[in-house]
Amino acid sequence: MADQFPTLAQCAVVATSLKVLLWPAYKSTDFEVHRNWLAITHSLPIDKWYFEETSEWTLDYPPFFAHFEWVLGRIARYVDAAMLQINNLEYDSWQTIHFQRATVILTELMLVYSLYAFVRSSPAATKKQAHAVALSLLLSPALLIIDHIHFQYNGFMYGVLIWSIVLARKKSTLLLSGIMFAVLLCFKHIYLYLAPAYFAFLLRTYCLGPRSVFDIKFANCIKLGVSIAAVFALAFGPFVYWEQMPQVLARLFPFSRGLCHAYWAPNVWAIYSFSDRILIYPQIPALLKLFLQPSWDNFVATLTLCGYASFLFGWHVHEKAILLVIVPFSLIALKDRRYFGAFRPLAVAGHVSLFPLLFTVQEFPAKTVYTLVWLIAFLLTFDKLVPASEKPRVFLLDRFSLLYTALAVPLMVYTSLLHHMIFGAKYEFLPLMFTSSYCAIGVVGSWLSFSVVHFTA
Amino acid sequence: MSTPSHRPRKKSRASEVHAATSNGSIMLDATSSRERPAFPLAAFFWPTKGVPTSSWVILSSILMLTGLFRWTTGFWPYSGRARPPMHGDFEAQRHWMELTIHLPMSHWYFHDLEWWGLDYPPLTAYHSWICGQIGSLLNPDWFALYLNRGNDGHGLKVFMRATVIISEYLIYTPAAVICVRQLGRMHNINPWESSIALTALLMQPSTILIDHGHFQYNTVMLGFTLASIASLYAGRRLWSCVFFVCALGFKQMALFYAPAIAAYLAGSCVFPRLNSPRLVGIAIITLASFALLSLPLLLGTAFDTYRSLPLPATATPPPLLASLPAVLSSEKSILYPYITQLLQAVHRIFPFARGLFEDKVANIWCFVHSTGVHKLSAYSASTLSRASLLLTLASITPPCALLFLAPRPQVLASALATTAWGFFLCGFQVHEKNVLLPLLPMTLLLAGKDGMKPSVRGWVGYANVLAASTLFPLLKRDELRIPYFVLTGLWSWLLALPPTSLTVYFGSTARSGEEAELHWTSKVLHLGTYAAMIGWHVVEAFVETPEGKPDLWVVANVSIGAAGFGVCYLWCLWQSVVASRLLEGGRWETAKKKQ
Repeated sequence: MADQFPTLAQCAVVATSLKVLLWPAYKSTDFEVHRNWLAITHSLPIDKWYFEETSEWTLDYPPFFAHFEWVLGRIARYVDAAMLQINNLEYDSWQTIHFQRATVILTELMLVYSLYAFVRSSPAATKKQAHAVALSLLLSPALLIIDHIHFQYNGFMYGVLIWSIVLARKKSTLLLSGIMFAVLLCFKHIYLYLAPAYFAFLLRTYCLGPRSVFDIKFANCIKLGVSIAAVFALAFGPFVYWEQMPQVLARLFPFSRGLCHAYWAPNVWAIYSFSDRILIYPQIPALLKLFLQPSWDNFVATLTLCGYASFLFGWHVHEKAILLVIVPFSLIALKDRRYFGAFRPLAVAGHVSLFPLLFTVQEFPAKTVYTLVWLIAFLLTFDKLVPASEKPRVFLLDRFSLLYTALAVPLMVYTSLLHHMIFGAKYEFLPLMFTSSYCAIGVVGSWLSFSVVHFTA
Repeated sequence: MSTPSHRPRKKSRASEVHAATSNGSIMLDATSSRERPAFPLAAFFWPTKGVPTSSWVILSSILMLTGLFRWTTGFWPYSGRARPPMHGDFEAQRHWMELTIHLPMSHWYFHDLEWWGLDYPPLTAYHSWICGQIGSLLNPDWFALYLNRGNDGHGLKVFMRATVIISEYLIYTPAAVICVRQLGRMHNINPWESSIALTALLMQPSTILIDHGHFQYNTVMLGFTLASIASLYAGRRLWSCVFFVCALGFKQMALFYAPAIAAYLAGSCVFPRLNSPRLVGIAIITLASFALLSLPLLLGTAFDTYRSLPLPATATPPPLLASLPAVLSSEKSILYPYITQLLQAVHRIFPFARGLFEDKVANIWCFVHSTGVHKLSAYSASTLSRASLLLTLASITPPCALLFLAPRPQVLASALATTAWGFFLCGFQVHEKNVLLPLLPMTLLLAGKDGMKPSVRGWVGYANVLAASTLFPLLKRDELRIPYFVLTGLWSWLLALPPTSLTVYFGSTARSGEEAELHWTSKVLHLGTYAAMIGWHVVEAFVETPEGKPDLWVVANVSIGAAGFGVCYLWCLWQSVVASRLLEGGRWETAKKKQ
């Protein structure tokens, strides 16, 4: 560990400098969404939180996130109390911007800690690889684009997720891992997509004995059940007590209110009851494999497949959900050359697919240059670090991956420059369509090769 | 199967031997006796150390990353934003683009001098013309004549920021890359460490803050200067002249370097033996470059004379005209229009009528005047300018004499820095932004012999951090406080300097022993100045100035700066003396043989 340079902390310092410089950058409506939530949680008693609808951006995250906003509000009032007024729609004084942006950076320390824990928990033989992976996640262009420009708190959320995954590495902290995941669900329910993998893994490793499926560990079952129930009770209990659960659920899963609200993406988490049924089928083989061979690597691989399934087959999935694939996949991408082969197109496609989130001229060089440096630095580093696999590689997939990466360049040139020069303002759907198709090919391709690698391993 | 297909195609030889010469980026850990990066910036290059990596990958990554910091600094406000009536440097540059693309050339130096009249040399005007033409293609409103003064639109801002960064990447960046490479070759430094020095040079906070925050095009002038220096390193004296004339032709402040460059060129024609063809060549190329530089302006004037276009109604003939013989200055003379143009340009570029210093700048005059040591308002402008001239001459003579007597390329960087410090401290009409000029050659020392060892890194860092902090009052006016703290803090952290680290002063694990350490007097001096600067920032942030003295904090800042820069002048002078080897009993011929 001592010989790994640059260290996580060193990278965090440089990344933080860049992120602070990005404070005046373009911010999406998500900025106003979060400001509004600050105002709601600060100004109203808890039983009014899920009913308030002055702003169209009503509170639609689970209660822990609302409490998190409430905590931020306690500090925000010393910075600029005006941002905490519910009627102050679209309020964005520079104090508000600096405060909200700073909270994203500070809460991302959770991610730094989890990555540190990840490297520390890795076996000595793969420490070098784990360190490179940790740096790649810390410096991820996806997080830079979504959190520090577009505006969200994914760094914090994925920090909790990675911590929970790291806790699942050791037998003694399995229970804690389950609790952390339950907590995470009460922050943001998009992680429900990953729940099947957690269920299968904890059931097999924690609730059942290692030798036989019939060796049920009743004490563990009760411990896990009670803890998770307690977490959910803590989050949702008050709303059950006030008989507000239908309203809370309607907010969290707006599908039940009809599709009329689904025109804008975040409402997408949506449709859960529906998509859940669809999503579970492609995952059954992976879950079975995990159940039969409950190793940590298999667990992370199954999480990755759950992420893929949600991204590829989910209803109204937002491009930001690609993090659900990239984050767990990164943790095992350097397992051997076959995994890395599947990861490469995902790294390219996943990040390019986020480019349309930022459509302003000023941010264009920032997002493309940052992503390009990241891809060059980490794909080359990974290439040097990744061990050879014990099984022969699938030749075709390898060539595909190289060709695919190379194609990204003309695509970017076309969408950002050529299209405008050739067609002007006409056919504006074309660049978006090309980007989407390109990224879809990459994600599907990487999903296929990852599935092959996983099921033949 | 002889070569299994699932093996990696290329197996890299993990530890290829790298050049033995280190300039101080690596240190040995005291306990484990393992190699460690001596400062965080080196840590970021650690994965490529001893690993064969394409130099194109490293170079392009450096350029993209340092570019990101520049571009994102540009997201912040610029000078004079939303500040009527006059706005600031941003409006000046926009206005020049407007006037050069719309007005006939003979009007450029005469047009409405009250509203940011053009007062930079012709190359700036041509550059404005190009930028204005491109900008008008994108949006003609930005540069519509008279209609768009003080425009603070976002699109215009992005365009203008882009012109700065593109100009920089066309001129400054390649020059810096080549210059650092030449230095590395000259001092036999391994390319890995040269890349680190290059990054340190490109991340200089003051340069980024002034050009990409405050808004100016200094890096174009500095880039031509770097190209000129790199040409001297490569022994291409004539190219050096061309580039230096370009620097002068872009911004007159390059004059800070002129005596040193001239002394070096002259010295190289005289020592070790007289070389008159070389001298003649240099003279001819320099004059030709100047002629070429003013040619477009003169051709434009010829065209305007041909179509008998009069000067603007408000134009007054340049005052210098009166001092010429009547044959030339009479209106009937055929040369009259051209001479008027050139003299007007000179008159605009060198505003002798302005004061000794403007605003508050960390030089001797402002220090003496503002701190109340001696009030200078009692003296006439001509006395002051004469005094300034004499003092400047006195301060630049030693480094220039060294360059003339020992024209070795190794002396160049430190002697250029000394000369520029002399101008900055004693010169006439100096701006706080001009501190970029001495900083550039001084920071180049990082890429030279022992450049990253505490003895040099400590001093270069000291000058850079101090310079950035003297720019703080200006940056605060521009609402650039946060970028100032971020970039200055980042740079000093990357090089392990105060206020974030004290290893330069107290960590004694540098690879090559005692001579790399700072002298204890330097340590005391540096730490004292750093403490003063930190104290100043705290006071400035939390304490109101006493009644009737609104400038007190700025004066305090300037005083600390002037004292520190004075010390930097002396250090650079000493470095030049050492590098010139004149102290080694005039035996530099033998010394040369030893090498």
